[in-house]
Amino acid sequence: MDQAVIHHRIERWIGRVLRFGVWGSAGLMIAGLASAWISESTIRIPAENPSATEVLRKLFSGSVDPTTLMFAGMVLLMLTPFLRVLTAAAGFAAEKDRRFTLVSLVVFAMLVGELVYSLR
Amino acid sequence: MTPESFILLVVGGGIAGTIGAMLGLGGGVFLVPFLALVFDLPMHQAVAASILAVIATSSAGAAMNVERQVVNLRLGMVLEISTVIGAIFGGLTANMLSGQALSRIFASLLLVVSFLMIWRVRHFRQDHTAADEGVFPSSFMDDSTGEIVSYSAKRVPIVSLVALIAGNISGLLGVGGGIFKVPAMNMISGIPMKAAAATSNFMIGVTAAASAFIYFAHGHLNPFIVSPAVLGVLGGSFLGVKISRRIKGSLLTWIFAGVLLVISIRMFTR
Repeated sequence: MDQAVIHHRIERWIGRVLRFGVWGSAGLMIAGLASAWISESTIRIPAENPSATEVLRKLFSGSVDPTTLMFAGMVLLMLTPFLRVLTAAAGFAAEKDRRFTLVSLVVFAMLVGELVYSLR
Repeated sequence: MTPESFILLVVGGGIAGTIGAMLGLGGGVFLVPFLALVFDLPMHQAVAASILAVIATSSAGAAMNVERQVVNLRLGMVLEISTVIGAIFGGLTANMLSGQALSRIFASLLLVVSFLMIWRVRHFRQDHTAADEGVFPSSFMDDSTGEIVSYSAKRVPIVSLVALIAGNISGLLGVGGGIFKVPAMNMISGIPMKAAAATSNFMIGVTAAASAFIYFAHGHLNPFIVSPAVLGVLGGSFLGVKISRRIKGSLLTWIFAGVLLVISIRMFTR
């Protein structure tokens, strides 16, 4: 397949990943805010922000309380750029451009390294 | 949270996003002072909220720019290496500093930004590096002229250094860093303005994500502040892009350079 066609296809995939991340996270945040409002007729801000481990534990347990829904949106938003870089790496690999596949994977590895270091 | 505070957060975020997009600065420059001065939010939480707003606006804008083929993906990915390193160190440094120190550094940044806003209007290059003169050649269709613009980049290591500093500022203060990267790409590398702005916009979301989890791990993300603020900024940035196509920018630049100076003084004395 022509390189330009493959490149354009990568760009379209990156566009889709970005849209999914932004609108998915916005939807989750709106759902969280709306359910907080409906369940308590007001939005009660907790005295302290929950810790990252507590949030992740709730997320993985499938909890759907308002705070967790909002955090799910925030985490999806924070992970969208990771997906963006990974999609670019896959695209460069499809173009058989080893140099830029490696560059993208280096950026991805740095992002993952920061994530693991932060949440360790 | 009262309904009034909630509405104020969404509207304030919306205004920050609109002005930020109109001036090409991103919402963070206005969102951080808004949250810190109006909501009296601790500086680290204001920066964390802004980082998420930067990811949202960058991702939404980049989705359009990538499909329109204005983004130079290869150049962006190379520069991303230095911005991500800068952002990680910025995020780690911010969490070692006090809120007051962060507030004063932010105030200093606003002074620099207000100066750069005026300076860049007169110094942007209209020409660009020819496609066979540099590296990472690319082309895009310029909507305003209907012509295909082919170009390449020169002096990429110097721009990488600027990107490192921009990334550091992004991680430290929660702003996108485009105010530094776009002029560097345009004036040092000879990249056309539209491609430089689109490539920078593509990059800043990744840069912001590099420090976002540091703030998350330190418990600086308040979902009841972040969610309405991010939704407001996101909506505002769409509006800002539409308005900026219809109005002349120079008077606006002078007005908001003045506004930033005033905000800077308020942040210094906070």
